[in-house]
Amino acid sequence: MVTDWSYWAVQTLNGLQLSMLLFLLSVGLTVIFGLLHFVNLAHGALYGLGAYIGISAAAATGSYWAGFAAAPIVVALTGMLLYLGLMKRMRQAGPMNQVLVTLGLIFVFVDVFRLIWGDLAIGTAAPAIFSGRSDVFGVVYPTYRLFIIALGAIVMAALALVLSRTQLGAMIRAGVDNDQMAACLGVNVERIFFIVFCVGCALAGLAGAVAVPVFSAHPDMGTEILISTLIVVVVGGMGSLRGAVAGSFLVGFAQTFGAVLVPEVASLLIYALLAGVLVFRPTGLFPARA
Amino acid sequence: MFRQSLLKTIVILALLGGGVVYTFFTGYFGKELVIEAATLAILAISLDMVAGYGGMISLCHGAIFGIGAYTFAALTVLFGVHPLLAFAAAIVATALFGAVVGAITSRTHGIFFIMATLAFGQMAYVTIFESRTLGGDDGLAGVPRLDLSAIGIDLMNSTNFALFAIAALALVYVIAAFVLRSGFGRTLVGIHVNEARMKAVGLTVWHYKAAAFGISGALAGLGGAIAAQQTMFVSPELLVWMVSGTVLMVVIFGGIGTLVGPAVGAVVWVFLKHEISSITVHWHMIAGAVLIITIVAGGRGLYGQIEYMIENRRAKQKQPDETNVSPLAQERETHA
Amino acid sequence: MLKTITGAVVCATLAVAASAPAAAQDYKVGMLLPYSGVYAALGKDIDEGFVLALEEAGMADQVEIIREDTEVKPPVGLAKARKLVLEDQVDVLVGPVSSGVLGAVRDFVDQTKTPIIVANAGNDEATGENCTPYIVRVSFSNSQVNRPMGQWMYDQGIRKVYTMAPDYAAGRQQIGAFAEAFKAAGGEIVGQEFTPFRTTQDFGPYLSAAQATEPDAVYVFYAGSEAINFVKQYDAFGLNDTATLHGSGFINSPLYVDAQGPAAVGTVASLHYIPTLDTPENKTFVEAVQKRYERTPSEYTVQGYDAGRSFVEAIKSGATDKEAIAKALPTVEYVSPRGPVSIDPATNNIVQNMYIYETVEGDDGKLTQKLIGTVENVKDPVNGCEM
Repeated sequence: MVTDWSYWAVQTLNGLQLSMLLFLLSVGLTVIFGLLHFVNLAHGALYGLGAYIGISAAAATGSYWAGFAAAPIVVALTGMLLYLGLMKRMRQAGPMNQVLVTLGLIFVFVDVFRLIWGDLAIGTAAPAIFSGRSDVFGVVYPTYRLFIIALGAIVMAALALVLSRTQLGAMIRAGVDNDQMAACLGVNVERIFFIVFCVGCALAGLAGAVAVPVFSAHPDMGTEILISTLIVVVVGGMGSLRGAVAGSFLVGFAQTFGAVLVPEVASLLIYALLAGVLVFRPTGLFPARA
Repeated sequence: MFRQSLLKTIVILALLGGGVVYTFFTGYFGKELVIEAATLAILAISLDMVAGYGGMISLCHGAIFGIGAYTFAALTVLFGVHPLLAFAAAIVATALFGAVVGAITSRTHGIFFIMATLAFGQMAYVTIFESRTLGGDDGLAGVPRLDLSAIGIDLMNSTNFALFAIAALALVYVIAAFVLRSGFGRTLVGIHVNEARMKAVGLTVWHYKAAAFGISGALAGLGGAIAAQQTMFVSPELLVWMVSGTVLMVVIFGGIGTLVGPAVGAVVWVFLKHEISSITVHWHMIAGAVLIITIVAGGRGLYGQIEYMIENRRAKQKQPDETNVSPLAQERETHA
Repeated sequence: MLKTITGAVVCATLAVAASAPAAAQDYKVGMLLPYSGVYAALGKDIDEGFVLALEEAGMADQVEIIREDTEVKPPVGLAKARKLVLEDQVDVLVGPVSSGVLGAVRDFVDQTKTPIIVANAGNDEATGENCTPYIVRVSFSNSQVNRPMGQWMYDQGIRKVYTMAPDYAAGRQQIGAFAEAFKAAGGEIVGQEFTPFRTTQDFGPYLSAAQATEPDAVYVFYAGSEAINFVKQYDAFGLNDTATLHGSGFINSPLYVDAQGPAAVGTVASLHYIPTLDTPENKTFVEAVQKRYERTPSEYTVQGYDAGRSFVEAIKSGATDKEAIAKALPTVEYVSPRGPVSIDPATNNIVQNMYIYETVEGDDGKLTQKLIGTVENVKDPVNGCEM
C-alpha cells in the first residue's frame, strides 16, 4: 500500500498545499524586507487577524466569500495604520529594534484577539463548491486543498508577472537593488514602499482567511506559524520572489515528507534545514542582492 | 567600549544591596521574586555581553539557560551526581553549546544571525521536549539544591537561597565587566563596530565570536542551574523561543550595551509583571506596549537613558563636540 | 473571561459586604488554574463550576477564593502554589489543568501537607506511583477515560484500529491505555502515529498514511485547537466514509464541537461526562449553569463543580484545617451530575462511570451528544501507589 503511487501522489499534494500556504504568508514578508529592509515579526499576527476577520465576516453574511474578500482588505488597512503610526519611523532603526518593536506588537495582537474573539479556538466551513473531494488523475483529494494550491499558483504567477513585466514591478526591483539610486532616478520610493507593504499585509490576511476552513483560529495561531514563515524567508534568501518560492517548497515538502518518512526527527527537520542553509549560504539561497 | 564608570558601580551596588535588604524584610513570596529577578538578571547580563557589546543579537539565550537547568537536573536526578559537580558540568555544557553556536553562526549577520540562533535554540527545545529520558513535556522533578552545610549555610532556607542568588548575580556581573574591560572585550567591540577592519588587521574573527558566545553561554547556564534549584523542577518551557524573546525585551527595556541596565531591567520586569498580573490577565499586552514605547522613545532603555543624560552633560562640560551615541544610532551605523 | 471572573468576585464581595460586613471568611481556597494561555478557556470553566458548587451549598460567603494564573507553565505553577500556601496560607488548592504543573507541585504539596483537589490534570502517575495522601483527583486519569473503549470497540465488531495522538506524555498515556485494552480484547493495532505536539496544524500527511493501512476505525486523543483541526481534516480526507473516528471524548468536547461543524457528526468517544446525560442531578446542574453563565456546561465545568462539591462535603463532615480536609476528601461520596462518584482510598483517584457517546445533529440543527453506552464504576488499578 505504501508502495502504491497514489499514496505518494497524495503526499505530494499535501506538500504542495502546505507550500502554497507558506508562500502566501512569506512572500509579503520577504518583499517587505527586500524593499524596506524591515523585519516584521508581526506578520504572523496579521495572518491571525485575517483568519479571525474571515470567520467573523463569514458568520455575519453566511458566505465564505465575504470573509475571503474582507480579510485582505481589513488586514491591509490595519497594516496601513501600523506602517504610518509605527513602522515608518522604525525604517532606519536596524533589524534588532524592528524585531523588538514587532515582537511587542505580537503581544498586543494576541491579547486583542483574546479580548475580541475569546480564548477558544473557532472555525468556519469550506465554501460549498469546494467541499468534498475531487478525483485528480485517479487520486482522490480534498477539493478545498486543491483550491489552495490553485490560488497559491495564481498569486505566484501574478506576482511574477507584475514584477517582471510592469512599470511598477521595474520600480520595485530597482528599489530592492538600490533604493537611493532609484530615488535619484525619479522613482517615488516612499510610495512604492507603502504599496508593497499594504500588498504584503493583504496577502497575509488572505492566507489567514484561506487557512481557516482547514485549520482553526486561536489567539496564538500567528505566533505558531511565525517560525515556519521566517524559516521560509530566511532559507530562500530575503527580498526575492524566487527565494520565497524556493523556501516555501523546501519547507513545505520537508515538513510533509519528514512527517511521513522520518517521524522521529520530523520536528527537528526544518530547524536543521535553516541552520544548514545559513552555515553554507549565510544570506539564504537566493538573496535579492549579492 | 566598556568602562566601569562610577554611575555603573553605584547603581549595581544599590541594586545588589537593595536586594539583600529587601530579602530580610519581605515575606516568602517576595524572596521568590528576588531569586527570579536575580536569575533573570544573570541571563540578561550574559545576553548583553554578546548582544550589546558584540552586536550578536541572540534568540537562543533562553535555550542556553534551559540547557544549564536541564544539565544540572538530569545529572543530579537521573545519575545521582553530586550537586556541586553537576553545577560545574552545567556551566561547562552551556559554554560548549554557546561556543559551537557562536562558531557556526559567525559568518551570518543581522536578521540571519538572529534566525540562525533561533534555529539552534529551537533544536535544543525540540530535542528536550521529545526526549523520553528527560521526562518530555512533564519535565524532571525532585531537583536538589547545592549542599553548603559544610560552610554552615542551609540553602533550603529561602532567605539563604535568595542571598545565594544575589551573590551569584554579583559574581556574574564582575566576570562580565572583567571580560569586557580586557583586551578581548575591546576586540569584541571592535568586531561589532567594523568587522571588515578587524579582519584586515589579521584577526581570526570567528575565534573571538565563538569565545564570546561561549563565555556568555557559561554565565547563562549558571543562571539556569540556579533557576533549576529554585523551583527544584525543570520543564521544556524554559527553552522555548519566547523566553529568549522576553530576555531580549528585558535587556532593551533596561538599556542594551550598558551591562548594568539589563540587571535593572530584569528587576523592574519581575516586580512589574507580578504587580500587573495580579490586576489583569492581559499583562502581555501591557508588556508589549512598554516595549514598543521604549524603542520608539530612542531605544536606550531605563538605565541607558539616565546614563546617556548624565554622561552627555559631563561630555558637554568637557568637550562640547564629543557626544555619546545612542544604541539605536549605533545600530543604524552598523546596519548601513 | 476576565469580566466574568471579576464580576463573580465583585458580586461575591458585595454579597459578603451586604449580608455580614464583619463576618470573617472561614476558609481560603487557592485556585491554581490557567487564566491565560492555551488552556485559559478550561481554567474559566473549572473556576465557574467551583463557584457554582459553593453557591449551591450556600457557602460562597464563608470561602475566600484566591486566584493565581499558572500560565500553563510548570515553574510558574509551582511558584504560584508556593505563594498560595506559604503567603496566603490557603487551606486547600484547586487545579491544575496541565499534568506538567501537577508534576511540578507534587513534592511541594506533599511536604507542606496541603491538600490539592485535582480538577483536570490526568497523568496516571499522580494517583499511581507518585501518589500522596494530599493529592485527591476528582477529574479523571488518562487511562481511566480510554481503557473501557478497548473492550467496547471490540464488542462492536471492530478489529483493526489505527491510533494517533500528539507526541507528549498525556497523548502516549491515553493511547497506551486504549491500545493495551483493545489488544487484550483481541483487536489489532495496525499502525500508530504520534504527531509533534502543538506544532502540527496540517494532519494531511498523517491522515494519508492512516488511510493507506485501511483500518476499521481510527482511535485518537486530541484536544483544543488540535481537535478542531484534526476532526475537520479527517472529514475532508474522506476517512469518515471508511473508518469511523473514535477517541478519547475530549475530541468532541462541547467547548469545541461547534467549531468542528458537520465534520464531527458520527464520531464515537468516551468521556466521564456529557451534558445530555438523562439524570435528575444533571438536569438540575445544566439548568443552573445555563441560568448562571448562559451556556452549556462542559466536562471542565463539571470537574470544577465536583472539586467544589467534594470540598463542601469534606467541610460538612466537620473538617476544619488542612490535615482534616486531606483526611476527609477521600471519604466523600455523592451523586454528581456525571453520576455516582466516590474516591478510591487506595489511590485517591475518582471512581466514576464512563459514557460512550456519538456526536449527532440535534433537532435544532446544533451538534449534540447521543449516549450509546455506559461503563459503570471505572476504577484505576493501584499502579504502584503506596500511601
